[in-house]
Amino acid sequence: MKVRVDHLAFSYGAFTLEIAGLSFAEARVTSIVGPNGAGKSTFLKCLASVLPPAPGSVFIDGQDLARLGGKSRARLIGYVPQEPAFTFNYAVLDFVLTGRAAFLPPFSSPAAHDVEAAREALRVVGLAGFEERPYFELSSGERRLVLVARTLAQRSDILLLDEPTTFLDPRHEVEVMELVRRLAGEMNKTVIVTLHALDMAIKYSDALVFMKQGRVVAAGRPDDVLDEGLLRSVYDIEMGILNVAGRRLIVR
Amino acid sequence: MSGRRNRKATALAVAAVVLPAILFFLSLNIGAYRIPPGAVLSTLGDAVFGGAGGPEPSPYFDILFRVRLPRLVLALFAGAALAVSGASLQALFRNPLVFEFSLGISYGAAFGAALSLVFLGRGFPPQAAAFVFAVAAVVAVMAVAGRSASQTVSILLSGVIVSALFQALLSLVEFFANPYALQSLIFWLMGGLGLATWGDLAVTLPLIAVGVTVLILLRWRLNVLSLGDDEARALGVNVGREKVLVIVLATLTTAAATAVTGVISWVGLIVPHLVRMAVGPDNRKVIPLSAAFGASLLLVADDIARSAASFEIPIGILTSVVGIPFFIVLLRRSGRLWL
Amino acid sequence: MKTPAVLLAALVAAAVPAEPGQARAPATIVDSLGRAVVVPAKVERIISLEPEVTRIIVALGAGDRLVGIDYFLRNHDHLFPLVFPAAGGLPVVSNPAQELNYEQAIRLRPDIIFSSPSEFRMTESIERKMRVPVVALASMGKLADLVAEIATVGRVLDREDRAAALTGFFMSRLEAVRRSVAAVPEDRPSVYLAFWGSLVRTPVSYEPVEAAGGRNAAAGLLPDRFGAAGATVSIEKVLALDPDVILVQGNYLPAERQVTVESVLRDPRLGSLRAVRSGRVGYTFGFWYWWDPALVLVEALHLARVFHPRTAAGPGLVPEGDAIFKEFYGVEGAFSALCRRLGCDEWTAK
Repeated sequence: MKVRVDHLAFSYGAFTLEIAGLSFAEARVTSIVGPNGAGKSTFLKCLASVLPPAPGSVFIDGQDLARLGGKSRARLIGYVPQEPAFTFNYAVLDFVLTGRAAFLPPFSSPAAHDVEAAREALRVVGLAGFEERPYFELSSGERRLVLVARTLAQRSDILLLDEPTTFLDPRHEVEVMELVRRLAGEMNKTVIVTLHALDMAIKYSDALVFMKQGRVVAAGRPDDVLDEGLLRSVYDIEMGILNVAGRRLIVR
Repeated sequence: MSGRRNRKATALAVAAVVLPAILFFLSLNIGAYRIPPGAVLSTLGDAVFGGAGGPEPSPYFDILFRVRLPRLVLALFAGAALAVSGASLQALFRNPLVFEFSLGISYGAAFGAALSLVFLGRGFPPQAAAFVFAVAAVVAVMAVAGRSASQTVSILLSGVIVSALFQALLSLVEFFANPYALQSLIFWLMGGLGLATWGDLAVTLPLIAVGVTVLILLRWRLNVLSLGDDEARALGVNVGREKVLVIVLATLTTAAATAVTGVISWVGLIVPHLVRMAVGPDNRKVIPLSAAFGASLLLVADDIARSAASFEIPIGILTSVVGIPFFIVLLRRSGRLWL
Repeated sequence: MKTPAVLLAALVAAAVPAEPGQARAPATIVDSLGRAVVVPAKVERIISLEPEVTRIIVALGAGDRLVGIDYFLRNHDHLFPLVFPAAGGLPVVSNPAQELNYEQAIRLRPDIIFSSPSEFRMTESIERKMRVPVVALASMGKLADLVAEIATVGRVLDREDRAAALTGFFMSRLEAVRRSVAAVPEDRPSVYLAFWGSLVRTPVSYEPVEAAGGRNAAAGLLPDRFGAAGATVSIEKVLALDPDVILVQGNYLPAERQVTVESVLRDPRLGSLRAVRSGRVGYTFGFWYWWDPALVLVEALHLARVFHPRTAAGPGLVPEGDAIFKEFYGVEGAFSALCRRLGCDEWTAK
């Protein structure tokens, strides 16, 4: 599934988001990076249609996102929000099952194959055996994986993850990003993540999009776009790029 | 693991049907007029299979079928209506402290029914005005709450404000009602199942049946809606439409019940909470079980109301006396994550 | 709480016999709340918030001293305008909840205010705000207290002779009814009173029933100290009581009646009641804001005819009623007028 942004504009208050001529490749991980307030989350929400995009702004495999019905859209795009606040302590399986909503009419309950899809999703993210555990008893990392599993149950080919590594300890950070890579590589998903941690972005992404003040400053493969001048202009401080044991590290 | 899930689910389903049925038959035997259990059975048998019916109307028949039965049936239906609408609203607004009372539905319905009783007389079914004003109350709550980020807090606050408004309007109706009509109005407002006739139930029962049934059909959908508007939308749900549907159904069932029984509060809060404590928050279980246990609870409460003393205890007072301490306990525990 | 005996004792203790032609000295009376109130020597301007007391004031011939009247009596009582036509010209000083309008009350410069004992806080509040003697008086349904109340009001208004005449008349007529039914060999019928517009609300104590030779079926449902308070029962309880007679409160305009004799007779739930089967379902007057003393006597006479038809003697209820009302209020045909208004010609014709 290719995601193409022709011209996306969104504003609230004093802030304006304006993005034109951007594409996201399938079977790739693209990370959107930039300082706070750059509009990364807002951009993602527009792609997820949480903030409704205008017609003609975003195209999924040639279809206008704004004209897609809710169910079709949900089958194409899975969204993992940053800090979901849930009230009810559902069991993990029941949580993932909600991802099947796009396949079920309003008055129906999930059938056996829906349950199987949810179980399969949990297996893929490595949480087999967690089905009956209450959601609130999981660690932040595990909860993040549950949310990813939900998008897998949705069978969506496009995954949008908003700051998936925040508040996770290093081990879980790596776990999530490894999973994200696998989903892109082995399952051909188009993965778009917003990330704070530039290091993780560089390590796990096929493409980077740098945003500042609602605009795209640079986009492309890390090798192509990454340089200290770019970092300075985006983050407004001096940053160095070091090559250590074959890996690029950012120092401030 | 899943085997245990299924066995537990089956056991609960059986309990949900059996418990109200048992309580129903027990309640048939309770009442100020002593009817020996054998006579209860034989009168029921005669009614079902034909027979008896001498020259004089049998008191047993009248009492069972004209006095007790409508009352018990109303208790079952009203209890189910209040519990299911409370449970649905809690899921929808993501707050277990929400119920039809805190959304102004109860007092909106009461005000509408009062208006109808005072100005249109007993001939006109009060359910219509009850529904209209219950909807008005909900619309007002949504309008006052606005689209603020911390929506659940706003909803509760607006619910309190709108409830207060309709309570004030109700007082106004009482104020201007002539004292002769006022007596009946005050009496009705205290909440009671004792005067229901089959005629009253002819409108209310179908409305409740429809509302409760559709809400039960929506039970899994409520899981999805309870994740939040943005989440549900991202999952492909038409949030606006389905939210309105749930609110309309909850309002309809509550208004239909309130129009006949007066204000009976706290059932919509207590029952879903108890059910969640027992089986968890999955609405596929919570909604149907709330119907069953709400019906049972109100039946038991009515049994107490009509037999604990030589006079009738208004049922609204009974449910308040139990419900308010319960609510306080809930409030204090709500620092804990929800079930 | 305060028994009539104490009330009477207090009156006696504080009594100073007045010489004819001389206004009495200020006196202390004890009201229904047990408050000792000093009432001035001359009471010329009266505000009464308690309908029962207002009726007594008019019966004592002091109606012209009223300067303000309560909402119910002016606007909704069916009988009062018939016995005191001047009521129409009196300002209403309370709202529909029977709460006093202070500003208006102050403007009327009353010498005394009669309030309702069931509104204790209002009584206190009036006293504090208006610095006028406030007397809380009502019988709460007890006829003995009604008699004492007539005497008390008579004392306050310096109309003790008239009060004595009225109480004497009242007690002797009531006693006459009692005697007429005492000799009857048949049993005292059990009576269920469906009051206040509902089949299931009934006064636990309604003394005219006993005076007329009946038994209140709901006696004892509530503890005694609640007086004539209404108990709420259930249809089933009514069926269990199976009274001999059912009486519906008739002191409603026909269009406003929520429970009617027809609705009782036609109610499918009540078909097995012996009262329904024998057709002994009728109306009676009942009370609103306690008693009207003349109506109490008429009620007793009416009930005696209902319970024991064979004791019915004399000219008939309507002429007797008119005579009683004339004795109390000095007006002609008041009872006939009430009957026309309530449509009670039918029920009193029996």
